[in-house]
Amino acid sequence: MEYEQICPAIAPVFGYFGVMAATVLSNMGAAYGTAKAGVGIMKAGVIVPELIWKNLIPIIMAGVNGIYGLITAIIILNNIAQPNQDGFRVYSLYTSFGHLAAGLSCGLCGLASGMCIGVSGDAGIRSFTQCDYMSKTEPKGQGFGRKKKKAGAENVFVGSVLIQVFGGNLALYGMITAIILTQTSYDCEDN
Amino acid sequence: SPYGWGSFGIAFGLGLSVVGAAWGIWLTGSSLVGAAVKAPRIRSKNLISVIFCEATAIYGVIMAIVLNGLMKKPEDSSYADGVFLENWDYNTWYFAGFGVFCSGLSVGLTNVASGVSVGIAGSSCALADAQDPSLFVKILIVEIFASALGIFGIIVGIIQSNSSQFPDKLIG
Repeated sequence: MEYEQICPAIAPVFGYFGVMAATVLSNMGAAYGTAKAGVGIMKAGVIVPELIWKNLIPIIMAGVNGIYGLITAIIILNNIAQPNQDGFRVYSLYTSFGHLAAGLSCGLCGLASGMCIGVSGDAGIRSFTQCDYMSKTEPKGQGFGRKKKKAGAENVFVGSVLIQVFGGNLALYGMITAIILTQTSYDCEDN
Repeated sequence: SPYGWGSFGIAFGLGLSVVGAAWGIWLTGSSLVGAAVKAPRIRSKNLISVIFCEATAIYGVIMAIVLNGLMKKPEDSSYADGVFLENWDYNTWYFAGFGVFCSGLSVGLTNVASGVSVGIAGSSCALADAQDPSLFVKILIVEIFASALGIFGIIVGIIQSNSSQFPDKLIG
C-alpha cells in the first residue's frame, strides 16, 4: 500500500474525534448524574438536613466518571504524533482508528455509567432519607419500633451505595478497554 | 482549508460554551425568581449559582483567546500570487487545523453539559434555601462538583492546543 493510503492527511481528524468523544461523553454522563442526584439531595435535605453529607456519595461517584474521561483524553493526546521536522506525516490511519475507538469506548461507557449513578443515586437518597425520617417519628410501641427501623435505614444506605459502586464500575471497564486500544500504533517511516 | 477548520473550532468553542451557560442561567434564574416570591430573603445569596454558570462561559472565552493566538498569518515570503510556494509545510498545516477544530469542539460540548448540570443544581439550591436556610451551603457543594466538569474540558482543550502550531514560514 502507498504512503498516501496508510498515512493520509485526514488521519488526525479521527484521532482528535476520539479525544473529543472521551472527554465530552463522559462529562455528559457525569453532568447527568450530578444533576439528577442533586435534585434528590434537595428533596431529601428538606426533610432531614443532617443526612446531606452522607447523601453526597452519588455526586462524588459521578464526578469520578468525568476524571476517567480526562485521563483517557490525555493518554490519547500524548500518542497523536505530529508531522516531523521535514513535514513528513507520521500518524497512520490505523493508529487513528484505534484512538477513535478508545475515545468512543471510554466516553459512551462513562455516559451510561453516569446516567445509571444518577437515577439509582436519586432513588437511593430519597429512600434512605425516608427510612431515617420514619424511624425517628414512628410512634413508640407500634409495629417494628424505632431501633429496627433505624437498622433498616442503614441497610438501605449500604444497598444504595453498593448499587452505585456497581454502576461506576461500568466506566472503569470502558477506560480499561480504551487504554488497551491506545497501545495500537504504526508509524509511517521517512525513507 | 485548515484556516476554515480552525475558525470553526474557535466559533464552536465559544458559542457552545455560551449556550451551556445560558441554558444553566435560565434553569437557575426561573427557579430563583419563582421561589423569591414567597421567600424574598434568598435573592442575593443565590446569585452565586448564576455566577457558577457564567464561569463556564468564561472558560469558553479563555479557550477562544488561546486558540485565536495559535492561528498565525503566513509570512510574506511563503506565498506569491495567491498560492503557497513549494516548501510550504502542508502536513503540519492540516494537523494544526484539525487540532484547533477538535479542541474548540471538546471545550464547547463539555461546557454545554456542565452548564446544564450547574443550572439544575442551582435551581434545586434555590428551592431548598427557600424552605430551610441552613441547606444552602450543603447543596452548594453539589454545584461545585458540577462546575468541575467544565474545568476537565478546558484542561483537555489546552493540552490539545499545545501541539497544534500553525506554520508561518516555509520549511528550511
